[in-house]
Amino acid sequence: MIERRLIWLAGIVLVWGAAIFSKLVALQVVHHQEYVKKARARQEEVVRLRAQRGAILDRTGHPLAMSVPTESVSVDPIKVPSLQVDSDLLAHELHLDPAEVFQRIRAAYDSHRGFLWVKRGITPQEAGDVRGLKYDWIHVDDGSERHYPNNMLAAHVLGGVDFEEKGNGGIEKALDGELHGTPGSADILTDVHHRGIFELVSTQARAGLSVILTIDEQLQFVAEREIAASVKQHEAASGSVVVMNPYNGEILALASYPPFDPNQPPENENDVAARSNHAVSVPFEPGSCFKVITLSAALETTKLRPDSPINCHGGVLTGLPGKRVIHDSHGGLGIIPMAMVLAHSSNVGAIEVGRTVGREKMYEYMRRFGFGDRTGIPLPGESKGRVRPLAKWGSTSLESVSMGQEVSVTTLQLARAVSVVANGGLLVKPRLIVKLGDRTPPVEPPVRAIKPETAITMRQMMEGVVLVGTGRSTRLDGYTSGGKTGTAQIFDFATRHYTHTYNGSFMGFAPVTNPAVVVVVTVNGTHGMEGFGASAAGPVFKAVIAEALRILDVPKDLPDNPPANTQIAQNQKDQSLDDVSIADLGSGQPNILEDSDDDEPAAPRTQAFVGPTAPPAPAPVAGTVPNFKGMTLRAVLREAEAKGLPVQPDGSGVARIQNPPPGAVLHQGERIRVQFTR
Amino acid sequence: MATIPQFLTRHQAPAGTQAPAERLDDRQSERDPFELRALPFEDVYFRPKKMDNSRLIREADPRAGGACWTVIGAACLMLAFLGGVLAPSVANTVAGYKLESLRVEAQKLADERRTLELQEARLLSPERLDRLAQGRHLVSPSASQVVHLDNTGESKVAMVRR
Repeated sequence: MIERRLIWLAGIVLVWGAAIFSKLVALQVVHHQEYVKKARARQEEVVRLRAQRGAILDRTGHPLAMSVPTESVSVDPIKVPSLQVDSDLLAHELHLDPAEVFQRIRAAYDSHRGFLWVKRGITPQEAGDVRGLKYDWIHVDDGSERHYPNNMLAAHVLGGVDFEEKGNGGIEKALDGELHGTPGSADILTDVHHRGIFELVSTQARAGLSVILTIDEQLQFVAEREIAASVKQHEAASGSVVVMNPYNGEILALASYPPFDPNQPPENENDVAARSNHAVSVPFEPGSCFKVITLSAALETTKLRPDSPINCHGGVLTGLPGKRVIHDSHGGLGIIPMAMVLAHSSNVGAIEVGRTVGREKMYEYMRRFGFGDRTGIPLPGESKGRVRPLAKWGSTSLESVSMGQEVSVTTLQLARAVSVVANGGLLVKPRLIVKLGDRTPPVEPPVRAIKPETAITMRQMMEGVVLVGTGRSTRLDGYTSGGKTGTAQIFDFATRHYTHTYNGSFMGFAPVTNPAVVVVVTVNGTHGMEGFGASAAGPVFKAVIAEALRILDVPKDLPDNPPANTQIAQNQKDQSLDDVSIADLGSGQPNILEDSDDDEPAAPRTQAFVGPTAPPAPAPVAGTVPNFKGMTLRAVLREAEAKGLPVQPDGSGVARIQNPPPGAVLHQGERIRVQFTR
Repeated sequence: MATIPQFLTRHQAPAGTQAPAERLDDRQSERDPFELRALPFEDVYFRPKKMDNSRLIREADPRAGGACWTVIGAACLMLAFLGGVLAPSVANTVAGYKLESLRVEAQKLADERRTLELQEARLLSPERLDRLAQGRHLVSPSASQVVHLDNTGESKVAMVRR
């Protein structure tokens, strides 16, 4: 009996133990994964690791665009217990209008939406207050917001982003893939109070790459300030400035007016229009600026030289097909050296030169200077301008192109073209990016466009524009400079006529001997004589390039002006100049097809020194330029020293070219440049 | 009184005793008033009996102390073993808490730093500096006011520094 009970007892215990063991096996082996999953669901949270969007910096490392973390509040309208009360509570915490919040939540609730953004970019205080409410229908989400700390500065270069931080213009759009970054995710083991215990990063977040631009913040500011002032002063429609290093193509400033604030989304059509980059996307007829290309082609393909005589036909050219008549704005120019054609911007002279070059060569050199092709700058919406194929040239196309009509270019293309002259004949590719992340984008090798000697000659001729030609008002203190003015009538496509509004331009470089910087300024939609290139764009060029030379610490190559402690009185009256480029625009309206030229109707201001210790007025003439042609360097220097004339030699060998030409009058402060070759 | 050990050996008749069946008959005939009602199908009777154990002296078991210490030692060892097994896990958890809080703090500091960098950039913006300069009647130097100290003066070529 006892054994039976023992056996029963043992049996019961065995069964009980087996049941427990089998349950254990069921829990820990059979249903192991299921319970692990449940445990993880309760204990683990999947956290999204945000990827910071890369910053955009200027060449000195100052941030132009950067993202900062932000928090935003969203709600689940369906779970809101009491729409009115809870809306008021939430509005109070977030400092919003309670009625508006209620309406929005109500509308979302009626639409059966389970998600609604209430406020983005809340302060840490607001985030803490909302979290303190501990409502399950309120969520505080981490995010990121893009800021442009300089507001409108370089807005057209930077572009902007939408609410999802996706680029929608400028560099932000062009490099969106590199700037964006890749978010990651991590699994966090939490305790009962949702505090993290352990984090396992499943996917590492990869921050966006930072971009260093070639833009100089200070120079960009000056360029934008000056172009804005000029556009407002001349009641123009728009304007643009490009400042470029002619050797490596780095763009130091790219300004477009009107500006916009990328911190604010566009609100109306005007805001959208303001986002158009006029320096890159809006082509225009360059007018007389294009004569640089015409003369460059002539130097390379013909026997014409700077001192070759060109017949300007008294400023009127007839006999063109279609009874077209070309006028020079400043009539009376007869036979003048080719250098003076450029200096005084004679349309007739340019046409004669262009005819000598011929259609094929003219077209070839237009393409050599990069016109008709995009520069490849990493900005969306770049225009390649317009160069008609040679087969589509009309009977007067050569004449038109020679003086800058029937061709449309962008400000950036003009900058690249004048860089060819400035850097010795190489067509460089404009660049905006110094570094992308930690790697430097490869630099495309330049392409030879013109010969070095042609470039040097063109530089000297363009210096003549500034010294004695239409660009006199842009002469710099302490630096030699060269440039070309341009004034092109704007064509009205509706009426098929040229209007009396102009695109005033100035393109130039400084110093002449070894140009450090190229600046091109365009003011679109100017009126009257004050709207010509020298008046509208010239002052902007002068201010911007002076600042650029100071920032780049370029040594001077000219003596300074008299000290600033003497009072300077500016003569506002018209004065006759030593040269013949006096405009007389009062003699009737120019021809509708004519490229209204950019001569200076009035003499620029001359400076008279008035002060308690005013020095005597300097002698206006330093002497007459002798003929150095064929002389050695030693002989030239000896003769110049004997006559007290300042000479700037360039090269070695025998003197071939000089500027001013022999017999010209040398003004005070000017130097005689002599080019020596073997 | 019947005890458990006796219960187990009660079927074994001691030497010289009556047969269990005969004993059973005798018991049944002498009904004790203190006898409890028998459980059904049980021949075990429990009788409470007061026992005087006052003169009972418990002998000290010399091996008991050792056994106790052995048990205590074993328990401590077991505890130490368990502690050794569980300690890394606990330390891991504590370290995890610390790491998480440090990570959150590091993220917070990085975010604060970016916010400060943005503020700094705004304060150093060229427009603001220009406005401040104008307020203090400061202007950019003109070319004549800039003197290049290391200019050789007679240089015929203007070299680009930057």
